[in-house]
Amino acid sequence: MTSFALLFTLASIGISETVYLIRKRIASEKPICPIGDGCETVLTSKYNKIFNIPNDILGLSAYITISIFAAFLVIGVAPTFLWSFVIKILIGIASIMSFIFTYLQWRVIRAWCFWCLMSAFTIWLMGIIILISGLI
Amino acid sequence: MNKTSFHILRVGLAITFLWIGILIFKQPEAWGGYLQPWAAGLLPIPIKEAMIGTAVLDILIGAFLLFDFFVWFVALLGAIHLIIILTVSGITDITVRDIGILAAIIALVIDSFPKQQNESS
Repeated sequence: MTSFALLFTLASIGISETVYLIRKRIASEKPICPIGDGCETVLTSKYNKIFNIPNDILGLSAYITISIFAAFLVIGVAPTFLWSFVIKILIGIASIMSFIFTYLQWRVIRAWCFWCLMSAFTIWLMGIIILISGLI
Repeated sequence: MNKTSFHILRVGLAITFLWIGILIFKQPEAWGGYLQPWAAGLLPIPIKEAMIGTAVLDILIGAFLLFDFFVWFVALLGAIHLIIILTVSGITDITVRDIGILAAIIALVIDSFPKQQNESS
């Protein structure tokens, strides 16, 4: 259950972060960039959407799904194997996407976005938790 | 309160309320065991149903805090909820931490309470 608690906590942090970015985008306001000043450059670049869907919406959807399914696994809602499988697949895809977005910030956009990096680290940490819990 | 501190407190409390709600959903009867006999006797519905209602309320408070919607209202609701919990369960080794959570959520209520606008006429 510890791994689900950690996944749920990280997904909740991801939800709060993506909700913040969505609200700022809708209000056409600049998000606060706690470290560096490249947030706006990255968030308004042409890479901020996939199939015309903003990345913050995709991230929020993924985090909400992960948190709900982690809660299902804790409560024991059937079919648990399906929730577990979907969580692993989602985190796997999100990890790969995070690698691509981090590469884009580093080599293509040449600016770093605090919120994007935080989201990437959140996802990678989830991946590490799943790998470790699978080994134990 | 500093804006960053406020959001850290908000998200932290949101996760706490959400997680407690999930745990109550998992074992409602076990959590009902924390009720003092006099409080359990006052319930018009079975303990299991009352605890599921509590879980739903905890999850709703947590979700609203996490999504940053109506923070002052749900924080006030959370504070009242925690005062009721402390009253009906008593201060035990388990519930003593609710005092800290209550203090934190009261801080959130005070900080997010709508400020009165200065009217100039």
